[in-house]
Amino acid sequence: MQKRQKRFEVLEQRAVNKDGFIKEWDEVGLVAMDSPYDPKPGLKIENGKVVEMDGIPCAEFDMIDTFIANHCIDVNVAAEAMAIDSLEFAKKLVDINVSGAEIKRLVPGLTPAKILDVLKKMNVVELMMAMQKLRCRKTPANQAHITNVKDTPALLAADAAEGSYRGFQELETTVGIARYAPMNAIALLIGGQVGCRGTLTQCAVEEAMELQMGMKGLTAYAETVSVYGTDQVFVDGDDTPWSKAFLASAYASRGIKMRFTSGTGSEVQMGYANKKSMLYLEIKCIMITKGAGVQGLQNGSISCIGVPGAVPGGIRAVLAENVATVLLDLEVASGNDQTFTHSPIRNTARMLMQFLPGTDYVFSGYSGVPNYDNMFAGSTHDSDDFDDMLVLQRDLQCDMALRPVTEEQIIAVRNKAARAMQAVFQEVGFPAITDEEVEAATYAHGSKDMPDRNQPEDLRAIEEFLKSGKTGLDIVRALHKHGFQDVAESVLGMLKQKVSGDYLHTSAIVDENFNVKSAINDRNDYMGPGTGYRLEGERWELLKNIPQAISPEDI
Amino acid sequence: MVSFTKDQIADIIRKVGDGTSPEALESAVKNVLAKLQSEGLSAPASQGGKLDASSYPLGIKRKDLVKSATGLGLDDITIEKVIAGDIQFDDIKTRPETLAYQNEIAKSVNRPNLANNLARAGEMTRIPDARLLEMYNFLRPYRATKQEMISMAEELEEKYQAPACAKLVREAADVYEKNNRLKGDR
Repeated sequence: MQKRQKRFEVLEQRAVNKDGFIKEWDEVGLVAMDSPYDPKPGLKIENGKVVEMDGIPCAEFDMIDTFIANHCIDVNVAAEAMAIDSLEFAKKLVDINVSGAEIKRLVPGLTPAKILDVLKKMNVVELMMAMQKLRCRKTPANQAHITNVKDTPALLAADAAEGSYRGFQELETTVGIARYAPMNAIALLIGGQVGCRGTLTQCAVEEAMELQMGMKGLTAYAETVSVYGTDQVFVDGDDTPWSKAFLASAYASRGIKMRFTSGTGSEVQMGYANKKSMLYLEIKCIMITKGAGVQGLQNGSISCIGVPGAVPGGIRAVLAENVATVLLDLEVASGNDQTFTHSPIRNTARMLMQFLPGTDYVFSGYSGVPNYDNMFAGSTHDSDDFDDMLVLQRDLQCDMALRPVTEEQIIAVRNKAARAMQAVFQEVGFPAITDEEVEAATYAHGSKDMPDRNQPEDLRAIEEFLKSGKTGLDIVRALHKHGFQDVAESVLGMLKQKVSGDYLHTSAIVDENFNVKSAINDRNDYMGPGTGYRLEGERWELLKNIPQAISPEDI
Repeated sequence: MVSFTKDQIADIIRKVGDGTSPEALESAVKNVLAKLQSEGLSAPASQGGKLDASSYPLGIKRKDLVKSATGLGLDDITIEKVIAGDIQFDDIKTRPETLAYQNEIAKSVNRPNLANNLARAGEMTRIPDARLLEMYNFLRPYRATKQEMISMAEELEEKYQAPACAKLVREAADVYEKNNRLKGDR
């Protein structure tokens, strides 16, 4: 071009043009939800057994097909469900006169290709309608990532306290250095309870280590238990549907809540999509989760969001996978937990798909820390966006489970968490947290504001801690001894949750009075206007009153 | 959990008096017990009927039923006792009966898959942490021969009265064989 058009020169510099886009490429599975290679729906049952599913005879089933046929498909309802025209089924999903319970009675009779065929009939607004009606828990909730690049414990505890104080019912951490896992888990356990009693905390690391920490009472739930939609990728992830089902029961046997993780794009990214669309493969992951008897799933592409994000209709497919999860009556922690675009406009548009209808956890990892400290590679929104989120809730009268706070309140809970952590370190034999660290953690924006610790010393102490056989009860004793009676009571309260097992049920969260709210006693009963969760009354009064709003009386 | 000693079983057998070896009958009785247990029937029958959503959450509505692994009630687990060292970590673990109640509740709200998971979990409460971790790792691809997997299923049945878990492992053994995911297949 000899002469540039000036508007195009400006557009070229826009954030969205730093993103990568690709045209559909069916042969490698770079297609959101409509590949010509996706199987046609069909199901044959003989003597109560699935003998053919989506055109594949059982002799040719791979491991995943076998698991789905054996554990997920309900042969008693299959004939009735499969006979319903896909378009009619899709209409039921948005029809306010058809209850969620009736839909969920039929869905276990559907094959993966049939569920795909139903979802393909729906646009994003219809998918949001379905989510609003079908998500398992009535009250939406939210989850935050709490991590930092230095794995510095006082800051982790302070950030956890701020996160739970702001309203996140679940907090997830991970590590910069793998061996820090137990220390980071303890920081979230303590900080989470300082900010709000009943907060569930987890530490995402390798499967066996993650289970071990749960067994010691250092975490309340687990989430990073990955499943995949093709055999080869599953095995490359060093598991099978059976090993994962076994692991699921192992968690429940220790009274620990657990959900699986999957997401569109993971199979393409790992090179074995078998020419299938991303959503088709993801539906298989959801059905594996259901078949394993796990209560819920984290999906919404998760760490592979760049892949569906690059193809046409990809973000619609991501919403569709969240809907498929609730359709199968599973808790959904609905993504929005990884940066996928340079464009703030795209970022927020993607998040609205879950925020507007409400999900069990709108974000399965809102970055409760600045994104530079987010060890999950950054979320769509971070701690610098808190006020934007509060205003969005207020603008739209729509709840993402966050609440307005004051600077004084946040300073107080951050400081208390850092001091509680300091006390526990002294008792369990970890290298001291200095007063300087407590002060820095209280007022920090992120780890840039924290002094460095002696990492080799920390890691040696963590090894000792693991060998010592210490458990969550030692944390309780340490807190109590140093005057943090209320925090000690709360940590013990979380340990006691594992005795009753109430929070093993679908979509369970624990409120500030240690009452479990799940899909059983807080069942979503949406059937149109005037039903389901409504942001009103006391909660709406709370969310209206952001500190920035001026009051006419004060003028 | 209902449990019979070998002598009791031998006694049953003598009463049956059909000439079958005590070992064979013991295994038959075990299978019956295991089946009862996997169906969540081993829970004490004192509540008069199955639990459902009206009993949920158990920790509030049926506190009388919730006991830890060592038999403590929720109100017995106090901060004072923890501080005094009267409560150890084993005292605050869940026990099979509690998971059997949760299994009943899951069934009552039409979640049979979750109920199955809880049935396996109830069985696993009897398996020590370290062994349970080993078993999980053993089920990962290419770790075990078919015979080793079957041995593990037998261990689950015999040592831990875990028939639902054993069934899952036996099924995996067949599938791994068919799909070349056994030790040496890589």
